[in-house]
Amino acid sequence: MAENHIEDGFLEAHFAAARRSSGDLPAALAARMLADAAGVQAARAAVAPAGRAGSGAGLVQQFLRVLGGWPTMGGLAAACAAGVWLGVAPPDFLPDPVGLMVQQSSDVNLLDSYALSSVLAEDG
Amino acid sequence: MTGAGNISGPRGGRGGSAAPPGGQASAQDEDASLSDDALVALFANGDARAAHVLTARLGPRSYAVALRVLGDRDEAEDVAQEAMMRLWRMAPDWRPGEAKVSTWLYRVVMNLCLDRKRRGKRAGTARLDDVPDPPDPGRSAPERMQDGARIDALQAALMELPERQRQAVVLRHIEELSNPEIAGIMEISVEAVESLTARGKRALAAALAGRREELGYSDG
Repeated sequence: MAENHIEDGFLEAHFAAARRSSGDLPAALAARMLADAAGVQAARAAVAPAGRAGSGAGLVQQFLRVLGGWPTMGGLAAACAAGVWLGVAPPDFLPDPVGLMVQQSSDVNLLDSYALSSVLAEDG
Repeated sequence: MTGAGNISGPRGGRGGSAAPPGGQASAQDEDASLSDDALVALFANGDARAAHVLTARLGPRSYAVALRVLGDRDEAEDVAQEAMMRLWRMAPDWRPGEAKVSTWLYRVVMNLCLDRKRRGKRAGTARLDDVPDPPDPGRSAPERMQDGARIDALQAALMELPERQRQAVVLRHIEELSNPEIAGIMEISVEAVESLTARGKRALAAALAGRREELGYSDG
């Protein structure tokens, strides 16, 4: 046990010397770290110049930027309005969407325009 | 504890320069009262002064631990600079309260050191001697010489250890971190940390055995 205590003290003397020597950061290294920090902040500021009014305004700005700005928003609104109008009042060449949604049944007499005798005559 | 061309970082109350009078003292006090989490948030919001405080507070530890693990000053500088760069980039995504910034940074440094070893970067003790450590004004010349000899012997013995043992010993006995914090940094259990440090210390003691008189250590 005494041997272990001596060994611990011997090692601890070395660890203490290492601790005493390791408190300093070379000035050139510190300067490089700070230059990196400034570069990152500058790049971030260039990407998001208007995101400082608050998190809500920042998020709206980011959303508009993703879509392509206000002109794109205008086109999107116009397309939505056209779609609604087509649904409410479709042109004649388009089927009635309400009718398509609601099941309707009707009877169709396939033989209405043919005389039964002429159909039977085809068989010879 | 400063030398020409070096910047002291806070380390358990040791080191650092005397506080200047007047307004600068209050600004420094204000900076010192901010947590790492707060400083990272300020940095993410564009506060340049936060970068200075974080560099002074975390830079020295990043460099020192990389130096002990890699045994090469140039490699240690590269690792420390890269680790801080990752901190700058990560800042907007940092979620306070989940982990300590210092723990995260230590983990980045350790992983970068492992990457260097895997890529075959040669680490050697010779580079540490190229630029001597700045003199500690609190130590006499004979004491500084003895410290220098002990540091060189310790570094040579550390470089003989397996990588993970070296990391654990450096974090425990030079950085003086707790076993739970080391476990978080190395992403292993506390028991694994205790095993690594115990085996590492035994190996260091064996490597340094027989040099007690040379290194200025007596039993009596």
